[in-house]
Amino acid sequence: MRDVAAEAASQVPGVAWPVVGALPPGARVYAKFTIRSFQKQLAYKFEYFVGVFNGLLFIFIFTSLWRAIYANLEAPPAAFDLEGITAFAVFAMIVRISMTQDDMSTVGKIRSGAIALDMVKPMSYFGMMLAECAGQTLFHWFTRVIPVLIFSLLAFDAALPRAWENWALLAIAWPLGYLIMFMVNYLFALLAFWFIETFSFHLMKYGLFTIFSGGIVPVDFFPEWLKPLIESLPFMYILYTPTALFTGHIAGAEALRLILLQGAWAVALGMACTVMWRAAQRKLVVQGG
Amino acid sequence: MSHAATFAEHGRIYLNILIAAVRAKMEYKTSFLFLFFALVIYYAAQIGVVVVVLAKFKNIAGWSLGEMAFLYGIMVFSQGLTTLLFSSLNDFEELMIHGDFDRLLVRPLSPLGQILSSKFEVASIAHFGIGVTALWFGSVKAGVDWSVSKALFLPLVILGAVLIQGGIRLAVAAIAFWTVRNRSLVHTVVYSSKEMILYPVSIYRWWMQVFLTIAFPLAFVNFYPSYYFLSRDASGLLFHPLIQFLTPAVGVVVFAGAWALWRVGVGKYQSVGN
Repeated sequence: MRDVAAEAASQVPGVAWPVVGALPPGARVYAKFTIRSFQKQLAYKFEYFVGVFNGLLFIFIFTSLWRAIYANLEAPPAAFDLEGITAFAVFAMIVRISMTQDDMSTVGKIRSGAIALDMVKPMSYFGMMLAECAGQTLFHWFTRVIPVLIFSLLAFDAALPRAWENWALLAIAWPLGYLIMFMVNYLFALLAFWFIETFSFHLMKYGLFTIFSGGIVPVDFFPEWLKPLIESLPFMYILYTPTALFTGHIAGAEALRLILLQGAWAVALGMACTVMWRAAQRKLVVQGG
Repeated sequence: MSHAATFAEHGRIYLNILIAAVRAKMEYKTSFLFLFFALVIYYAAQIGVVVVVLAKFKNIAGWSLGEMAFLYGIMVFSQGLTTLLFSSLNDFEELMIHGDFDRLLVRPLSPLGQILSSKFEVASIAHFGIGVTALWFGSVKAGVDWSVSKALFLPLVILGAVLIQGGIRLAVAAIAFWTVRNRSLVHTVVYSSKEMILYPVSIYRWWMQVFLTIAFPLAFVNFYPSYYFLSRDASGLLFHPLIQFLTPAVGVVVFAGAWALWRVGVGKYQSVGN
């Protein structure tokens, strides 16, 4: 089985990347998917400009919004001072861009039937999609995150944290948040096995993400009665958690608790993905696929 | 055939094309309803963000919950009307790339009229519902004192706002006559930019306020006219207080400019022998 996977990988054309060769054959095949999808992204130039422009536009809007609100306050709220909320707004948007994922490719494959071809491949579909997604994300890091970050540091009064702890927390919380987001997208995408029209689901997901990810309005500013709901949804662990930990808004025991919750969500969603994928396979077989 | 008869005749044809588009959408009744429901959640989330901020901080740059609702109501309602009339222009690139625009030119109807009636956007109905609700809630909550002149001015403001937003869409579509592709412009100029007027324009730095007034006049869609309806003190604005009455005039100017650009584009398209 392993050899077949390695052979399939060698037939995927792409640039030779020294790191890929160093990986065990099982991982190598997924790494190839990452590289391929990185290359594919280069074809979409317009999306690139839109992405950078939108990122900066939103940072501009939200930093302006907080400045205007804070200008009218007698005393800043306990959670953030103006500098703190500005940094939060800037980095929440950058984290969001750094997690850009194509959530429609599985839907497209299910509709066209191409998914059947992926199912017969001797590797996990989940792993394959995650690897492909990582390639796109890597592309966004170079082309969007870095320009937006540099521009923001110059124009929006935000500074990168100096302490290594912030970066260490980001190094743990970002991948977990990314994984949670991927799995939420994956579960929504698999709905296409049962429903012809899934755009509505995506719209709902996008709406829930907008408000409950805590990226636009941090969770701290929500009314107390809403907090239990937000904490029991996966969205705040995608965006709010990595941002709050990176900017130093949350540290110590509370940071550890959030990371553990992220881990728990990752495990739970992972199980949900497995269950739903099995059901989807059965559905496809029933249909005679 | 007299000019008036031609006009009525064309109107009837456009209506028939539009009805066909509505029927095509209604074929999928459950997904139609489901999409409507999803749109409500989507907009509830957008509104929710602002409501959470207002619940915590009471006002945004001096705008209370009711006033913000009114601001949002004008924006969403005029957007609904703009979407209903002009949404097909967002896909104009497709017509250029596939050469389908030629097909429209050979018919004895205005090509623009054919494009505009070719699509029915479900989202616009949701916009009307949300817009009316927000306007009603906002005017009650903010205690708008509805005089006859205010009631008469509101439809004019909506019309002006539609002309501004429709004019922007038309201009962006017209640019495709030169560039063929314009999708990135559609996304930035049409979709993303309206996020800016979810909030009072006065939250931005002066240069952005000038930009949104003169270069890209979205501030006229909801921000300036709201001063009149809400009886806000307009003396603190960057411009003369009379600016709160200019929305209809600005709408006519923007749309006329966009229309001229479109005509030049169509002329150029035909002259190169397509």
